[in-house]
Amino acid sequence: MTLKKLSQPILLLTTALVFFYLIQFIVFTVPQAQAEAGGLAQKIFYFHVPSAYALYLSGAVCFVASAGYLYRPSDTWDSWSRAGAECAVVFGCMVLLSGPLWAKKAWGVYWTWDPRLTTLLLSVVIYIALVVMRAFTGDGDAERKFAAGFGILGTVNLPIVHYSVKKWGGNHPTVVGEGGGGLADPNMRLALYLGFLAMTLLAVLLLIARARLAQTNAKLLALEEHAAVEGLLESP
Amino acid sequence: MGVMQTPTPNPTSTLKTPADRAQEFVAVQGGPETTSAENLMVAAYCGMWAILMLFIFLSWRRQEKLDARLGELEAALAKRGRS
Repeated sequence: MTLKKLSQPILLLTTALVFFYLIQFIVFTVPQAQAEAGGLAQKIFYFHVPSAYALYLSGAVCFVASAGYLYRPSDTWDSWSRAGAECAVVFGCMVLLSGPLWAKKAWGVYWTWDPRLTTLLLSVVIYIALVVMRAFTGDGDAERKFAAGFGILGTVNLPIVHYSVKKWGGNHPTVVGEGGGGLADPNMRLALYLGFLAMTLLAVLLLIARARLAQTNAKLLALEEHAAVEGLLESP
Repeated sequence: MGVMQTPTPNPTSTLKTPADRAQEFVAVQGGPETTSAENLMVAAYCGMWAILMLFIFLSWRRQEKLDARLGELEAALAKRGRS
């Protein structure tokens, strides 16, 4: 077996082990935060923030691949652009599900039209629109170029999501990074770092899987056209 | 002649007059948060895993279908090429 063939099972196994360790670490070792932060519900943070980071990562892949497609159209760029948008939707949904459940305990409400929440919702809606558009339209060059432009637009919104807290305030905490008080306990910090590692591995795995899926789809479409020319299929 | 003693009021048996009782309910902002943190945490983790597993399952199923279709077409084209 070549190293290339082994790399994916190794990546999958590593991701599974990191996740397994992280979950038991969060449940049994990481201390509970103060009541104002949500108490036990604050433990959602160790998946919530890394999911948001994975959303940024997927968005960045979508951005680079979309720009690459517009510059030099190819099936490979299109596949990665598509994979980036799809993974951004998945991680965005994870953030939008976990955040309100934590907010219910910390703020007393599931949702508030806070700048970060609102801008994040907008980004996820853009990626959902992109994925739905790709699913229900053709796969021609015009559709691909339009999708690439849309993918760039969705990712341009991500820095606004990130800096919205600093620019416009709101309820959303800024614990990590500039202006934040940080995590007081070393185990809390370790859990967050492990969360970032786990989500990076997961994002890489999902991006590879979805890009492969999109490439197979493109290959199949090309083959179907060839088969139609050969008279094996009715013209698509 | 005995001394009259004032009975100590028992809070549990003190009855309010109709005028003292609550006569309307008004909404207040906030109030004590009673939702269980455990339930919220479990719901968040289960929800996130459910989204992830659904995505992985759908990706796997679609990849299987595409691979099967691709195999069929390649075989048909190879057969046509031989004949």
